[in-house]
Amino acid sequence: MNLFSHSPLPEKIPLSGSDCFHLVLDKHARKYNAGDNVMRIVFYFDKSLSKPEIEERLSHSALIHWLCNIRLVTPPFFRKPYWKYTDGGRKICVHEHEHAEEFSIPETVLNRDIPIDAERFIECDIVRYPTGRSVLSLSWNHILMDGRGIGMLVNHLNELDETNGLSPQDHFPVAEKRTGIYRYIRNMYEVKRFIQDSSRLPIASIAGKNAKSSKHFSNRIIYFTREETALIDQAAFKHGARFGANLFYLSCCAHAVNLINSQRGTEGDLWLPIPYDGRLKGSKGPVISNFVAYLFYRLTSTELLDVKTTVGSMNRQMAEQLKTEMSRKYNMLLKMMRHFPLWLYYFLISRTGEGNFSSFLYSSTGNNFNQVNHLFGMPVKNLTIYPSSTFPPGLTFSFLRHHDALNINIAYSSDILSKFELDFLEEKMRNLLFAGC
Amino acid sequence: MDQQQIINDIRQYIETNILSGDIKINADTVLQDAGIDSFSIVEIILFIERKYGVAITDDKLVPENFRTLESLSLTVLELMKQS
Repeated sequence: MNLFSHSPLPEKIPLSGSDCFHLVLDKHARKYNAGDNVMRIVFYFDKSLSKPEIEERLSHSALIHWLCNIRLVTPPFFRKPYWKYTDGGRKICVHEHEHAEEFSIPETVLNRDIPIDAERFIECDIVRYPTGRSVLSLSWNHILMDGRGIGMLVNHLNELDETNGLSPQDHFPVAEKRTGIYRYIRNMYEVKRFIQDSSRLPIASIAGKNAKSSKHFSNRIIYFTREETALIDQAAFKHGARFGANLFYLSCCAHAVNLINSQRGTEGDLWLPIPYDGRLKGSKGPVISNFVAYLFYRLTSTELLDVKTTVGSMNRQMAEQLKTEMSRKYNMLLKMMRHFPLWLYYFLISRTGEGNFSSFLYSSTGNNFNQVNHLFGMPVKNLTIYPSSTFPPGLTFSFLRHHDALNINIAYSSDILSKFELDFLEEKMRNLLFAGC
Repeated sequence: MDQQQIINDIRQYIETNILSGDIKINADTVLQDAGIDSFSIVEIILFIERKYGVAITDDKLVPENFRTLESLSLTVLELMKQS
């Protein structure tokens, strides 16, 4: 019996503009033989997980079923790439691991790639520790979902008992509104001018000019207690981030990276394309697809004088870009570029900044996971997101709050950042977040 | 321009441009609880500047003034009187 037979799953979902951008990043990673564009969310539990129970729970999700039975189609002749669903009966595979080091994730999990020709686009791992504790990891190719999407997927998994997983209408993107070609072209020139100016060389990247490939990615997670997080919130407000700490976090990252660049004698302007959730607020979907918009910050040495100045500058740049609707226009450009052959798309975007997409990468899930108290009825002790290992630049900060406690998962390439520099980066991040200096 | 008119204008802007279709707010709704984040606040500030021709000064950019439509409309009224 087909569990989802009375709730048909969509057979064809076109990639969004941002999805296609990630497809190009995937191509970029393959070209440099570096990184994998795979994201992971890891839940920590005080008890041992049962593989049959997790498999049973996941098998009730129509969304998980869809993710296990799709393939990417990239048609010729300027047609948009899309996901093709065919019910091949494939189920999610739950991999089991035993690991000695408490709450450390085995490399076999962290290094597993999910390429664009993968059999399944979501993978599940359970890691058990000698203390009886365990973690559950879900991994997916970033082309399919953004951080907000996985937050909604977690809600969906937790609501399976109530909905039986049979209400997929919120999960998938709806048909797009058509836009006239004249408007597309006018926007394209406006955005092109803006991006060319914003990303003009020279840009200081943590990767440096000569780095061409990197396979050696690792993670360091910095945990803060609730009390420490409250102090960070106070510091954020004091330094000008009055409606949420996001710009303060980003500013602290920029200063820490700038200090490393200074030590190396490679300091210069930082260029930072930063994603933010483009869904309407309070919406329950879509889960599938990257629904992000981008803001672009260029930080000169004058704007990097101190954290407060940096937050002020980013506030102004954000307001200016929202005023001129640059984020919306940039998304229209990304939508249009879906029609380009991938090689042309890749050529066009890698020309800008001589192949450097950003000085470093940053994302924050805001409060999306703050109230995740349980998964499948089991209390969640902690959770973190492992960002995709994108190279260049080879350094990504991912901020997440859980139960009012902040953690930062830093994905870095050891070819880019030495152990000494990583220790320095952590020390500086702590100082900057607590005191802004 | 009275306070109720300002509340209606801003409510309509938020419900049409920022919030998901099924979410409705009133003068007392805590905007953050409805999903309004820092990016949305900037969009609301830009709308107020366009609509009423007032600039929200630095001393007014505090969370208390953006807590509800009620507090926000009082801030706009005060700025309109000053200008």
